[in-house]
Amino acid sequence: MSWDTGMPLLVLASSLLPGLVIFFLPEERVVTRTTLNLAGATLKLALVGVMIWGVLYGHHYETRLPILPGLDLVLRADPLSILFVALSSILWLVTTVYAIGYLEGSPNRSRFFGFFSLCVTATVGVALAGNLITFLLFYELLTLVTYPLIVHRGTEVARRAGRTYLFYTIAGGTLLLLGTVWLYTLAGSLDFTARGFLSGLDGAHHTALVIIFVLLIGGLGVKAALIPLHGWLPQAMVAPAPVSALLHAVAVVKAGAFGIMRVVYDVYGIQFAATLGVTLPLAIVAAVTIIYGSMRALFQDDLKRRLAFSTVSQVAYIVLGIAIVGPVATIGGLVHLVHQGVMKITLFFCAGNLAETLGIHKVSEMNGVGRRMPWTMAAFTIGTFGMIGAPPLAGFISKWYLGVGALDGGQGWVVFILAGSSLLNAGYFLPILYAAWFKAPPDSWPAERSFGRRETAWALLAPPVVTALLTLAAGLLASAPFSPLQWAHFITTLEYAL
Amino acid sequence: MNTTLSAILLLSVPGYPLLLAFPALRSRSPWPCHIALLPAVILLAVPAAFSVDLPWLLFGSGLAVGERSRWLLAMAVVLWAAAATLLRAPANQPESNHLTTFFLLTLAGSLGAILATDLVGFFTFSTLMGYGFYGLLVNGGEMAAQRAGRVYLALLILADLALFEALLIVAAVTDDLSFGAAHQAVAPSASLNLYLSMVLIGFALKAGIWPLHFWLLPAFRSARPAAALLLGGVPIATGLLGAVRWLPLGEISSPGLGLALQWLGVGAMLHAIVAGRMQGQLKMLPAYAAIFATGLFITALGAGLADSAAGSRYGDLAHLFIVSLGFGLAVLTVGIGWLAARSPDAIAPAKRAGDPAPWFERWPGAAVRWGAQMGSDTLPRLRGSWLAAAGRLWQIRAWQSALDGGERSLQRWAFAITLLLLLGVAVAFIGALS
Repeated sequence: MSWDTGMPLLVLASSLLPGLVIFFLPEERVVTRTTLNLAGATLKLALVGVMIWGVLYGHHYETRLPILPGLDLVLRADPLSILFVALSSILWLVTTVYAIGYLEGSPNRSRFFGFFSLCVTATVGVALAGNLITFLLFYELLTLVTYPLIVHRGTEVARRAGRTYLFYTIAGGTLLLLGTVWLYTLAGSLDFTARGFLSGLDGAHHTALVIIFVLLIGGLGVKAALIPLHGWLPQAMVAPAPVSALLHAVAVVKAGAFGIMRVVYDVYGIQFAATLGVTLPLAIVAAVTIIYGSMRALFQDDLKRRLAFSTVSQVAYIVLGIAIVGPVATIGGLVHLVHQGVMKITLFFCAGNLAETLGIHKVSEMNGVGRRMPWTMAAFTIGTFGMIGAPPLAGFISKWYLGVGALDGGQGWVVFILAGSSLLNAGYFLPILYAAWFKAPPDSWPAERSFGRRETAWALLAPPVVTALLTLAAGLLASAPFSPLQWAHFITTLEYAL
Repeated sequence: MNTTLSAILLLSVPGYPLLLAFPALRSRSPWPCHIALLPAVILLAVPAAFSVDLPWLLFGSGLAVGERSRWLLAMAVVLWAAAATLLRAPANQPESNHLTTFFLLTLAGSLGAILATDLVGFFTFSTLMGYGFYGLLVNGGEMAAQRAGRVYLALLILADLALFEALLIVAAVTDDLSFGAAHQAVAPSASLNLYLSMVLIGFALKAGIWPLHFWLLPAFRSARPAAALLLGGVPIATGLLGAVRWLPLGEISSPGLGLALQWLGVGAMLHAIVAGRMQGQLKMLPAYAAIFATGLFITALGAGLADSAAGSRYGDLAHLFIVSLGFGLAVLTVGIGWLAARSPDAIAPAKRAGDPAPWFERWPGAAVRWGAQMGSDTLPRLRGSWLAAAGRLWQIRAWQSALDGGERSLQRWAFAITLLLLLGVAVAFIGALS
């Protein structure tokens, strides 16, 4: 096995092996567990760095393992998979640091970090999948290893949220399986191919292809939390903050959105999908999700629940970018995959800090919290302005490309959706900032923990500050080499053969 | 000037205040708001015009200083320096730190907008200015200030949305978003009218131009003095500057739109005169002056849009007008503040009789009280001693009043008392002789 064929396996193993070892570590082996966690995350990041360099200079990283006659398990690093795998690797490292601080002293940490590592392994598998069957395997693995994280606290509410999650995602997985099998019988291949592999099929199959499209998008739309398949996401916010970060930014919803990208670009091909007439309904579903998610967020007093509905809305931007046919909108969708992750993880980290340090769970409890926790709230402020789409932050870049792409593709109505969504985002985020920065703090906080002169523990504070800086950098340095935007340009060039 | 040095200097004009906005980075600096202006002062002192391209920034951006922006920068430096002096809140208050942060963010946005060479750069800086100014308006303010802030914020968001739409229209027709290239690209485009409408609505909301001036009156009414001083030179001036820079003046002739704007401008001026006269509060004079002046500006802008030849001449005049407006409104605001501190009767004349104290006694006290009202604590000990001295003066004047009252009584009986005294003197003299 050469370096190029082994690289995808190495990237997978960098989180799989530490995860398996961690399962068997006794609870009190804190240092060993922490070392394994951080070493795995750092090694993965380094390997992904090498892979980015290689892909840019024409290396072909592919591992192919036969699983059934005519069906291979394929792991491949192409520009699109690199975008997702880089996002997951960077945010996994940050989330690991955060989780170490967050769970300090709590029970069942070996179990937690074991599943945590498996969750990232599954996400990387989803990202590197070279065909639909490999994608499906890791996608289902992701469902299974995320469930224990959602129910980690063991409360009745957590178990209920876990059951809901399983119900939705297994149903979604079934649809995806059905669509995949049907597609295989029809096309005889499931390999992801730039510009798709279905356009050459006989016209008689077009109706079947539309139905398969609906099945696949229905299955993927569960994890991407598209309306009306989003019900599990707001309930799952009962999970610990690092898990929320995984669900909303690194792994689960992203896997759904990424899957939709794969199906539209590398299974159907964007032009063929437009010819079949499936992109406009997808755009409409995304638009409805954007507005609906924002409107629901507007009325939530629970901070994490508000953020969860915000995710419903924001992830649909990615789908909208895919569904507007045209290179500029594609760039918008691709870049928002990264930007949404960085911004939303910042917000969930901050929500976790407020809960862990002051016992704040509701927006109505946040009066004056900016004075007590200025760094956390500064990071939160950057994240929220990014979500609103204020320049020069990451969200501005995404909305810019989506808006220009919509005009470019002759779909001006999307611009109004973006404007309405920005208004609603401002409507549910700015009151939080006003309460935090301008209202007087209460005499006492719901459940305050002292961290000496620091506002909270370093392990809790550093991650949101870092991701807030990334939010700023992704926007401000959008035209710099290796920025997410430049990488999205690179992918689009290949996808549209520009 | 060396290219690297000029780039550093240009970047540091908005960048340095932005860095100082982080409390940790200014914790040892006694005068952060003043120090933040240093790069701008140095830039003003360098006579050359220069620019820097920043291809890695946003979608490719740049900063430049030329003759026009130099005037605006000078105005900004003077106004910000004055506001920085007035701003300092009493020590040991948590609001003070926040206020300084908002001040520096607004400053960075305001200076950056003056130097921006492209649409996205200007939009970014003006947004930063807007949100920072919201903080200046509401931080530590009372209910009225918070209400004014809410109105300002809502309109700011709408303005930014309108301008974002305008940006998208330009980006759909060109990749080069520098002002000149954008004007040339958008002028012949089919979306020109939509672009013009979005730009006009956006900047009218930002600058508080009638009839979209909803935030202007509450802001003037409730802003603390430092913020009131900046109202003309920062949000209004930046809004007007945006209109001048974003509109393709000299590239298009749009008689219909131009005429509509001229009528709107005349309406604004009439509104300012009538409403200002009916309102009657001297404190609101700067607000109505702003509506009048922006009405005048819009009238001229209409002329510039109606005729491309007039439009190409409009640029220089518009910049000078904005500078004059910034200074004029600041002077008016300070003057009225001064008048209010010197003699509250001037603001509400019916309530009290005139102050009988002579000018040399009234004015130092008025200066001290005015400074205190402005939230200025720049020289606390000196201010304390001034207040103590003023207090003593008032005490002395109370005794003087008592004596004066006695004297007036004496004056009324002066003839009789004189006779009595003379009689006494005569009696004593005769007694001595005998």
